[in-house]
Amino acid sequence: MNMHKNLLALATSLALVATGGAALAGPTAKLPSQLPPLAADKALPVPQIAQKTLANGLEVWVVPRKGLPRVDYVLAVRNAGFAADAADASGFASLYAQLLTQGTPKRDAKAIAEAAQGYGGTLAAGALNDGVILSGYALPTQSEAMLRLLAEVAQQANFPDAEVKLAQANALQELKVSQAQPGFKATRALLAATYGDHPYGHTQPTEAALNAVTADKVRAEHARRFRPERALLIVTGRISAEEGFKYAQAAFGDWKGSGEPIADTAPARREAKPQRLFVQRDGSVQSAVRLGRPAIAATDADYIPAQLAGIVLGGGFSSRLMQNLREDKGYTYGARGGLNALRAGGIVQASADVRNEVTGAAIGEFIYEFGKLNDYPVPAQELEDTKRYVAGGYLIGNQMQASVASSLASNWLYGLPPQFLGEYVPKVRAVGAEQIQAAAKKYYATKDQSIVVVGDYKAVQSQLKEYGEFKLEK
Amino acid sequence: MRTRHLSVLLAGLTTITTAAFAPASAAESDRWQVPVAVKKLDNGLTVVVSEDHSSPTVGVSVVYHVGMRLEPKNRTGFAHLFEHLMFQGTPTAPKGVFDQVISGGGGRNNGSTRADFTNYIEVAPVSALDRILWLEADRMKTLDFNPTTLKNQQDVVKEEIRVNVKNQPYGGFMWIDIGQHAFQKWENNHDGYGSFQDLENASLADVQSFHRDYYGPNNAVLGIAGDITPAEAFQLADKYFGAIPGRSTPTPPDYSEGLNTQEKRVNQTDALAQVPAIAAAWKMPARGSRDHAPMAVLGSVLAGDEASRLYQSLVKRKQVALSVEALYGLTDPWTYNGPTLYTLFALYKPDSSADAVLAAIDEEVAKIAQGGVDAATLKRVKTKMLADWYNGLESYIDRADTVARMQTLWGDANVVNKIPGWIEAVTSADLQRAAKTYLTRANRTVIDRRPTAMAAPAAAAPSGQN
Repeated sequence: MNMHKNLLALATSLALVATGGAALAGPTAKLPSQLPPLAADKALPVPQIAQKTLANGLEVWVVPRKGLPRVDYVLAVRNAGFAADAADASGFASLYAQLLTQGTPKRDAKAIAEAAQGYGGTLAAGALNDGVILSGYALPTQSEAMLRLLAEVAQQANFPDAEVKLAQANALQELKVSQAQPGFKATRALLAATYGDHPYGHTQPTEAALNAVTADKVRAEHARRFRPERALLIVTGRISAEEGFKYAQAAFGDWKGSGEPIADTAPARREAKPQRLFVQRDGSVQSAVRLGRPAIAATDADYIPAQLAGIVLGGGFSSRLMQNLREDKGYTYGARGGLNALRAGGIVQASADVRNEVTGAAIGEFIYEFGKLNDYPVPAQELEDTKRYVAGGYLIGNQMQASVASSLASNWLYGLPPQFLGEYVPKVRAVGAEQIQAAAKKYYATKDQSIVVVGDYKAVQSQLKEYGEFKLEK
Repeated sequence: MRTRHLSVLLAGLTTITTAAFAPASAAESDRWQVPVAVKKLDNGLTVVVSEDHSSPTVGVSVVYHVGMRLEPKNRTGFAHLFEHLMFQGTPTAPKGVFDQVISGGGGRNNGSTRADFTNYIEVAPVSALDRILWLEADRMKTLDFNPTTLKNQQDVVKEEIRVNVKNQPYGGFMWIDIGQHAFQKWENNHDGYGSFQDLENASLADVQSFHRDYYGPNNAVLGIAGDITPAEAFQLADKYFGAIPGRSTPTPPDYSEGLNTQEKRVNQTDALAQVPAIAAAWKMPARGSRDHAPMAVLGSVLAGDEASRLYQSLVKRKQVALSVEALYGLTDPWTYNGPTLYTLFALYKPDSSADAVLAAIDEEVAKIAQGGVDAATLKRVKTKMLADWYNGLESYIDRADTVARMQTLWGDANVVNKIPGWIEAVTSADLQRAAKTYLTRANRTVIDRRPTAMAAPAAAAPSGQN
């Protein structure tokens, strides 16, 4: 599974990518006089969400849409993800979620996959920090059958011993694959440095945690984690609200939870002593450089200004980090950064993979850009451009029914209300440069950032001295 | 790299096509007719429009009919390096303007290079459409050729190669190295990412002549999808691109190749990988030939998803592999115009072997070659392929790009509406024929890539790692 993503990334990136603009020109480039003006903006479409709560507590939202022939379902279950994993079961939720589609009393894994294929869709599950998402889509004529299949899996997944053993064995091999990648090691070190002992700090699997998995444990966890009053079903696409509710009642009306529900995740820390960590990777020709600190939850009052500050810093091709480290210096293929806010906390982070020779210099540029964000207000044109960039992203995301469904689901997992989606752009528009600078001072101060480098220590050691004493890890 | 291809267009007239495909077994409500309108401007630029007012946004793709196959011989990686340079400014819109205007208009943009084409894609609120078209037209006219931006992007591309190839386990061997071994002609078998030496040797004169030769309007297709009518779009295209003169394009060499006649096995070691991997590739039928759609369906039967024959065999029953994926060069089963590969890539278990994986593949292929595929399976796979095809067209940026690619490679943007019918028409006998003709041992190229630590000292295989 991990590899699937990697392979796609390799294949597309080959092809992908290129763009630029000069750091010096960058956000302050003088626009050509011949450039046509922007036309008037059209009204922002707000998704119309029909909402209902079933007697068992399951929330159902239906967003009827025209467009391609497809119906999408997302079942989000709160407190079922990585944050619900025990400290010695790091990454358990990921393996557990994968196993949801591997058997019910009525169908084995192959029959489930074949059914989904025959509906013109896929049924898949994945873990997030704050929950598990089980999602499926199908051609319109097969949409009712797909929801029945999804409900069967949600309520009756039986985690056959042989499937658990196979998934466990494969996950151990996949962990080896992941550990060969610099980004995986860098993420592990940065999460530990920022979140500490909080469950958000250990979401990657470990060998010991995988070895400890048994089918019985998976079944027991499923009973604890999946329950209707902790779940939201979102339906989008070529379907009416009436039909959506009717299908949902039929598929999920009898669903009952059992036992004690899992407690809410404790708040993650908002401050941490900044660290300097070096993770050795023999023969590395690049250094994976990461900076970060703990920040805030998505429901925090500072969420939107802090997020905007992150977009100015590292949100896209014309962001400051990209323009500086890539387009001006040529140190990297890509530099990015910003706020990642979740239900119980969040982090600010920034990243680039750079060649060994410029590792120290690249860290210097990160520090410069964090500092600039603190020391100066974002100029008016850059602020306006950034707001338009965010509003455009909202419109582009709303084209896709699966992305509307997944945005609604993640917002719900974070504790944001359904109307947040429609309110987001107006809220962004209301933010001023002084609020962004204030948020930058709180969350993007250089002195608060931990620095993680994954690479070949011998090759880059001499460049790191001015950034402090790096603790060496394997 | 994926292969794409070309198109010849009707001269100068506007056709608003409403091609109908109507697979007998697909219910009316499961069908989708993508609107396609085509017009060729006097300078040779073909414009394809797909109207859709369900979101106030627009996707734009400019596809140039040149890719890695046609880059200069001692300049491997040049087509891709050039793609980067297209974002480095013009005399009118200096470096920095392009990204700032797109982002500041609420949009997203990117570009990519494949064997047969290079594309430049944007999506944005429709209020930014004039600006996008102006920017695309501006860089079609000329670039700001200067040593600073050339050096900058040589550095960026080298970092791209480090991050995707040199510093990565497996280093893209399933799409870079496999083609070097499977193909005979230079156009098809060189590394499209390029050697550092060739990249460093690229000169401003190279950049200039590549732009002159291949980036004229007559060698391009402009695709626009979204909140605009065809009439409005054609008028805007003419306004911004109409005055750019056509330029002569070099005649391409003959890069066609027949199927391979002898299996090729290559062993590689990988210093960064911890788990062994295999890539097995077969040359595909020619684009548009009668075996084309059958091969696409066969590819999905074998490795389309978790219900596929090979996933069920390799990963679930025999448990010799962690994963199995199908690749079609760097594109998809429908988007190529020269020799390309159907490649299976699998991570296999340390206690298994490349031979065991190949034997399991051969077993499944032989079953199909001998007995075809049962009706229920065939129907399921076709249903999924139909749905996948639609899904790939949902976003405006992908829809604009797909219709532009189809126009470029097939000479017919409306292929977008024909593919569902082609899939529907494939029979079990077609699959048998495709399996027997293409998925043969003789036509196969295999790379077995093992972690250096696992490889026996005796197996002094050439290192795949640079």
